[in-house]
Amino acid sequence: MRKLLLVVLALTPVLAFAQGFQVNLEGEKQIGMGHTGTGILQDGASVFFNPGAVAMLSQNYVQGGISPLLFKSDFNPSGTSIQNQVANKVATPFSFYAVWGPKSSWWKLGLGVYTPFGGLTDWGNNWTGKYALESLDLKAIYFQPTLSIKLADFISIGGGFVYNRGSVDLTRAIPLSNQSGQDGQAELKGTGKGYGWNAGIYIKTESGMTFGISHRSQVNTNINNGNAIFTVPASLQSSFPQPNQFSSSIPLPATNTLGIGIYPNKNWVVAFDFNLVSWSAYKALAFNYTQTTAALQNTYSPRNYQDAVSLRAGAQYLATNKLAIRFGGGYASTAVEDGYVTPEAPDANRVYVTGGLGYKIANRLDLDVSFEFEHLMPRTQTNIETQLSGTFETNVYIPGISLAYHW
Amino acid sequence: MKNLKHYIYIVAGLVWLTACKPEITTFKPSHGNVDFTRYIAVGNSLTAGYADGGLYLSGQENSYPSIMAKQMQMVGGGTFTQPLFSTAQANGSGYLSLTGFTADGTPITTAVTSNLAVRGVLPVPGFGNVILYTKYTGDNNNYGVPGIKLLNITYAPYGNLNGYFERLLPGNAPTNTTDYLDFVTAKPFTFFSDWLGNNDALGYATSGGAGDVLTDKNTFAQLYSLSISKLTATGQKGVVATIPDVTSVPYFNTVTVRAILAGVQKANPSVQALYISALVSTSGTAYAPRPATASDLIVLTFPTSKIGQPVSTPYGTLPYGLTPYSPIENQYVLDQNEVALTEDYVSSYNSTIKSIAASKGLAVFDAYAFLNNIKKNGLVVDGINLNSNYISGGIFSLDGVHLTPRGYAIVANEFIKAINAQYGCSIPLADVSAYPGIKFP
Repeated sequence: MRKLLLVVLALTPVLAFAQGFQVNLEGEKQIGMGHTGTGILQDGASVFFNPGAVAMLSQNYVQGGISPLLFKSDFNPSGTSIQNQVANKVATPFSFYAVWGPKSSWWKLGLGVYTPFGGLTDWGNNWTGKYALESLDLKAIYFQPTLSIKLADFISIGGGFVYNRGSVDLTRAIPLSNQSGQDGQAELKGTGKGYGWNAGIYIKTESGMTFGISHRSQVNTNINNGNAIFTVPASLQSSFPQPNQFSSSIPLPATNTLGIGIYPNKNWVVAFDFNLVSWSAYKALAFNYTQTTAALQNTYSPRNYQDAVSLRAGAQYLATNKLAIRFGGGYASTAVEDGYVTPEAPDANRVYVTGGLGYKIANRLDLDVSFEFEHLMPRTQTNIETQLSGTFETNVYIPGISLAYHW
Repeated sequence: MKNLKHYIYIVAGLVWLTACKPEITTFKPSHGNVDFTRYIAVGNSLTAGYADGGLYLSGQENSYPSIMAKQMQMVGGGTFTQPLFSTAQANGSGYLSLTGFTADGTPITTAVTSNLAVRGVLPVPGFGNVILYTKYTGDNNNYGVPGIKLLNITYAPYGNLNGYFERLLPGNAPTNTTDYLDFVTAKPFTFFSDWLGNNDALGYATSGGAGDVLTDKNTFAQLYSLSISKLTATGQKGVVATIPDVTSVPYFNTVTVRAILAGVQKANPSVQALYISALVSTSGTAYAPRPATASDLIVLTFPTSKIGQPVSTPYGTLPYGLTPYSPIENQYVLDQNEVALTEDYVSSYNSTIKSIAASKGLAVFDAYAFLNNIKKNGLVVDGINLNSNYISGGIFSLDGVHLTPRGYAIVANEFIKAINAQYGCSIPLADVSAYPGIKFP
């Protein structure tokens, strides 16, 4: 008679995707110049930055790079001196590009494999927000075959097809402790896929300035039959049936970019990129479980993201025939409105500075290194869903290295 | 050589990267002009850290005064010593442990009876048996005594009638003559918390209005005034708390008339009502049977198996609880009039508490408003959804009245907020998510 229904635990795995999840590390030359690359020609990374510019490349390219990323977040709960910090973990965004076409031809083929979205945050199982998130490892790898056509000496266009393979591994504590006081845990682990496209146009003007416009489409990524693993005290296990699966769909947003290249003299390139990221497509996050119970329900969490912009500028100076010096920086506005900031990627408006060096090891081989420091402004928030209240601040450190072979 | 130098730079750079964590200081701890050097906690079972129907070591360690004191220590607070049970006698008075659920989801609790700190039983003529516990000697800051009423604090022989109080006193029952108020104020202190008065209403309520009486309102006011005068005698600052609405706790809201009736009707659809023995009028003491309604609260400890059992009455053998001649007994029900009576007293007690606190410039934690709000709206803290439900709510322990460590941490934070607001100091809040709720098997 003293019947007890374990209430709905509001188990809403909050997978937020923010600017924080847009990785923006798609070519070391471009990183060095503040992530600009849509309105200029550098190398095979044009496959990503502007498929329309690929046909204008004077050479063929095979190149690969990696940018180990250290995401250092701190959370200070309101009214306390507590500092919760993420563990030192290195994410490894990478990029690979190949561009080929007959010498002086009007067309070129390209292939890009890169990681435009991802995140690695590990707050541990002992911090104030553990019931919102313990850790998240999220990866999206895009495969993009591309065709680019030179319509005239001053204009080229191109487009590509995108296949995304995404993976997610998210853990959070469940406030149901066992006899030794240990929390339960939910882990959602799965892979998914999605499709999209991108296209661009590249224009050389008589004044010498160059322009690029590119569109990368939204990629809806569906995760089906991901594993939903719930570790709870034995007496409650029947409320969290095992094995169980989940499915979810996440829109990775479209990005529109306008890029400009200016060439004050033969040793200097100055570039600007303006990005509009259509995060407003991300309205809500829903999770459906194969087996539900009174305690484990399908969830629907509003996200209500807003479109975000980023402004980027960078320059390259050829110090010698063999050495290029690059620097740049930018600003990106947050996609996450007040009340929706979560520990997955505690998003905020951010500024960054970059620097890089390019060295011609041999006639056909470029070695490029880059470094980026990114700072997310402190943001004091009370999350509407979890009431997690406090201030987030994040620094990101990203060294990078790449090799490009061209002929 | 040159290369080696480069490597050193790279390694030094990486070390710098890992060392360079952002750090946020939005909050500057400060004691303002409050002296937290010797904080004492005055109160009853809630103050002692009583939980799951008993006082035991792990409950004591998570008492709200000890949580508060830990936070006070960040602003210059002194050591806070509690009258802890030893590890060998960690289970103290014994307590309830959750050992499982029946097939229909009813929790099964089992009494923990090993490693107790019981040293004997003293029969007191005209009062009953008093369980005596292993004496605590040594310094003490937590004077929480389970069961104590405000009514008892000036009663000299009380140290012979309450085993939890007797345990703190140097002398053995029945020779004690120090009253509670003198005992707690004997040693100088600089700050106090006072949460007395709950049992003056709760004792009546939890016994269904049958086993105890409500403390007279004027007596309450006199004693409250006396105790606060004594606690602030040398200008000490402090915090007091109001008395929760007794109906805000799961002890009265878990076993409901509707649920029992539904269970009965499953077996016998012709049953129309449960009968209870109810207080006829709030101004009288007469009880009469009547059908139970949703406004009558059944206590958590009511053995529902009694329903329908044959009872011999002057009208023959009748099923328990199902006829006016065999009603559910008074001690299992806080009926509508008893609820009204209790609420009237609690509201008077709380006016007393607030006005006396205001006159002395003390901080007030309005536990009445806070717990009623949780009952109505629930509470979400750090991603934890809490409410006033039994077991699943996460705040109340297995006895349905006292709190879980997590519940006590929430209460400690409310006390701290009240202190910070009243005295302009900045005691950091405790991390609620670090304190556990109910432990499940």
